[in-house]
Amino acid sequence: MRLDGMRTYSDDEIVDAVVIGTGAGGAPVLATLAERGLRVVALEAGPNFDPHEFTPDENQAVDINWMEERLTDGANPTAFGANNSGRGVGGSTLHWGAFTPRPDPRDLKLHSDSGKGVDWPIEHAELIPYIERVEHFVGIAGPESYPWDPSRKYLMPPPARNASSDMMMRGCEALGIRATDAPAALTTVDRHQEHAGLRPACSSCGSCHQGCRSGAKVSMDTTYLPLAVAHGAEIRPDSMVTGIELDGQGRVSAVVYLRDGVEHRQRCAALFLCAGGVETPRLLLHTGLANSSGQVGRNYMAHGATQVWGTFETEMRSHRGYPSSIITEDTLRPDDADFAGGYLLQSLGVVPLTLATTMVRGGGLWGRELVGAMDGYRYLAGVGMNGECLPSDDNVLTLSDEKDAYGIPKARVAFSSGENEEAMDRHAIRTMTAIVEAAGATSTRVLARTAHTIGTARMGDSADSAVVDADGRSFDVPNLWIADNSVFPSAVVANPALAIMALGLRSAEKFLAA
Amino acid sequence: MSTPTIFCLHALGSSRLEFEPLAERLGDDFEVVAFDLPGFGEANRAEGLSVDEMVDGVIRKIRRHGSTRFLLAGHSMGGKVATLVAARILDGSAGLFGLTGVVLLAASPPSPEPMSDESRAQMLGWAATGRIDHDAARTFVDDNVGAPLGAAADERALADVQRSRAEAWTAWFERGSREDRSDEVGTLDVPAVILAGGADGPLGEDGQRRLNLPVYGRADVVVLEGAGHLLPLERPDEVAAAVRTLWREHAGRGPEVPVDVGRVIASGRTNTRTRRILARRALADRPSYEPRALTPAQLETLRAVAARVVPQTGEPIDLAARVDSQLHRGHSDGWRNVALPPDPEAYRLALTALAGFGDLSEHARDETLTAIVDGSWTPPAGTLTADQMTLWFEDCRVDLSRTWLAHPATMARVGFDGFANGGDVQRIQGFHLLAADTREGWEPLPHPTHDHDTQEAAR
Repeated sequence: MRLDGMRTYSDDEIVDAVVIGTGAGGAPVLATLAERGLRVVALEAGPNFDPHEFTPDENQAVDINWMEERLTDGANPTAFGANNSGRGVGGSTLHWGAFTPRPDPRDLKLHSDSGKGVDWPIEHAELIPYIERVEHFVGIAGPESYPWDPSRKYLMPPPARNASSDMMMRGCEALGIRATDAPAALTTVDRHQEHAGLRPACSSCGSCHQGCRSGAKVSMDTTYLPLAVAHGAEIRPDSMVTGIELDGQGRVSAVVYLRDGVEHRQRCAALFLCAGGVETPRLLLHTGLANSSGQVGRNYMAHGATQVWGTFETEMRSHRGYPSSIITEDTLRPDDADFAGGYLLQSLGVVPLTLATTMVRGGGLWGRELVGAMDGYRYLAGVGMNGECLPSDDNVLTLSDEKDAYGIPKARVAFSSGENEEAMDRHAIRTMTAIVEAAGATSTRVLARTAHTIGTARMGDSADSAVVDADGRSFDVPNLWIADNSVFPSAVVANPALAIMALGLRSAEKFLAA
Repeated sequence: MSTPTIFCLHALGSSRLEFEPLAERLGDDFEVVAFDLPGFGEANRAEGLSVDEMVDGVIRKIRRHGSTRFLLAGHSMGGKVATLVAARILDGSAGLFGLTGVVLLAASPPSPEPMSDESRAQMLGWAATGRIDHDAARTFVDDNVGAPLGAAADERALADVQRSRAEAWTAWFERGSREDRSDEVGTLDVPAVILAGGADGPLGEDGQRRLNLPVYGRADVVVLEGAGHLLPLERPDEVAAAVRTLWREHAGRGPEVPVDVGRVIASGRTNTRTRRILARRALADRPSYEPRALTPAQLETLRAVAARVVPQTGEPIDLAARVDSQLHRGHSDGWRNVALPPDPEAYRLALTALAGFGDLSEHARDETLTAIVDGSWTPPAGTLTADQMTLWFEDCRVDLSRTWLAHPATMARVGFDGFANGGDVQRIQGFHLLAADTREGWEPLPHPTHDHDTQEAAR
């Protein structure tokens, strides 16, 4: 994005707030504070990209992903890298899938309803106005009528359906499952984005995960960040935070970061930590801050994201078009569930290297079976789940003994699916297989995977059991706030980015009101 | 396999006719296409004489020709043009795809051509009257051969010098030969052969080794003893043999990218960066690749593993060498299982454990890999544990299969054309036909493999 001509601040100036991270959490915070006239600086570990330089080539497109090594542990080790973390001005919204269902009210009351997991300390009704503001500002496309929430309205018509979409609609109809066009954070008509310029209608290129070259997809560098810069925020790319300094009162007084190998110290009156579910707890553990609860790094969650692929007699070539244009929420609380919570389903298009990786890791393929499966690539279409994940004491992020290039210990993340996740996975596989078969698949293949990095700095009502309060403010360090997916106390079935943006707005406004 | 094309760019004072002897010798296996550069041969023009204009003109002609599998040959002045064209193909900006190798014949380098002030002045003097006469041509040819040419070749050489436009002649000596284009060229990792005349002057062997060899990271230098500067006329047999060797041992190796796929990569539907990536990735592997992260023995073992993990038919991609190169560059996929040592170390230990794998029968190899997958294979002490082997092999399969699929020939094979979903414009073209069994007019047709086993597995 254009950063020339933006207002800048010196390291010695005590700015009103530093925001670490420019993704779905940090960008709305930065824009909200800047709009109110605060002097704010965002520190982004990755570079500032020109979207026209993005490439659909999967091997090289990882430029926009967080590829610094993380260590994984547990029975279901998370595949980081291209799957779930971004790096660069815009954060993970550079590579996200733009699939934007809203959190369901039942998901925020999971413990009250099921006795499992935890409740959110925020009422759904309080979150929704923030979500609506986000949807309105960034522009979300969706169906005219949303079967699971008839009151909902989307700004733009839904993205074009591809062969996978038609397949999933056909299968769901045959089974009596309601399905419709998915809410998607992209333009389906030309849109003038305030301070960012024209975002042309999506061309169905299919490369959302490799970075949107046209600006059709919502990413922070085409929405909230230009707004922030227009109101006087500074964004410093290539700035990796390595430390946080406190004053005598235990308040953050400066943020230490490396830029071009040189250590800097930005003085500030407040700090928003928005580095995501891995980097936020890593920095807190590294600095030893905000952890009197012992909860930093705990309750790491990953959505169940198992896929079922069908081989069809027709050429599907599902790399064409928006990859996940159909949704069903009928599975949010299945009648025959033997688990707490639920899942949603989406149609799937995929690009070949990503598919092959999942076939190896999630399907165990190699040799002629793998080559044969890829030779059948153009006949494949799939359905994928996004399933609730319960917080667990066993799933924890800690610091490893190994250090990264900046001298910070690498994150070590243990994750194992629990009984609830496994029961849900079995249910989802049955449903997805039925859909794909009802749509005419001649054979099916199940590929296990997880998605999103959630939890690790949970919000709650008590300083004993949570890192931040319901507003996102640290119980221990009064001018430290966290706004990203690390504060989620439970995973929530919906994909996280929309809720992260909403929480960003909300925390920023709570900060302003404090 | 399609017939490869060799595009030939002549020397100063010459014309496309100088490549006729070469065409006679290569015509059965190559399509030899030679162009007259502006101001020479039948291109009797006094415009387009700058190096940049020559480069643009050659790019346009190759595009019009349409080949997607070609060598580029350049003689003397044409060598500088060839190097600049090659650089622009490999950086994606030429809008071309399919360069497989470069043949340099006593070539002028991308840096200023070594030339004494005296000979520059002498040759500029010949064109001062606006026309190069017979005596000057005679001197020029005599000064540039190691031994007298045959009568027909000599006559051709003399005639070409005399029909050169004086403006073109002057432009090269005053400007083109002096331009320093080495920064924009950098180094080109394309298969190449550099031919030098043993009796040539400043562009002889020393000049080639000093000025062109550093540009071409993987070139062989061939010195033609006794030859002067006019190699295509003096030594067409040896030049033809060098071209065939380059093709057989280097440039022509590896899987072929189908013509329609190559044209889509070349087209405005593919953005420049993606074209650059694919152009470089499609280059043939080095047959004598020296591993940089692994030992030669470990690399051989990895090749044997790769042959089972991703069985390739026809001309294979050297997946093991490409993975070694990634390991050497510190390529990371963003994570590693805590039970494994860092990637290069895990590879070294696992491949040491698998020493001798390549000597096993095909059946025994697959049994070994199956046992590794289920954790029942016992590695030798001092390498990895059985569980670590399982984890490593999962990573290894991902690395090998991604490397295989990233090659444009594999993309063609599996029917993926999403690399061409938009060019260097904000309103990228994308896809308009999205339904099953639909295909837009620009899209390549399927290029399925004829390997029956994998076709069975696909079904």
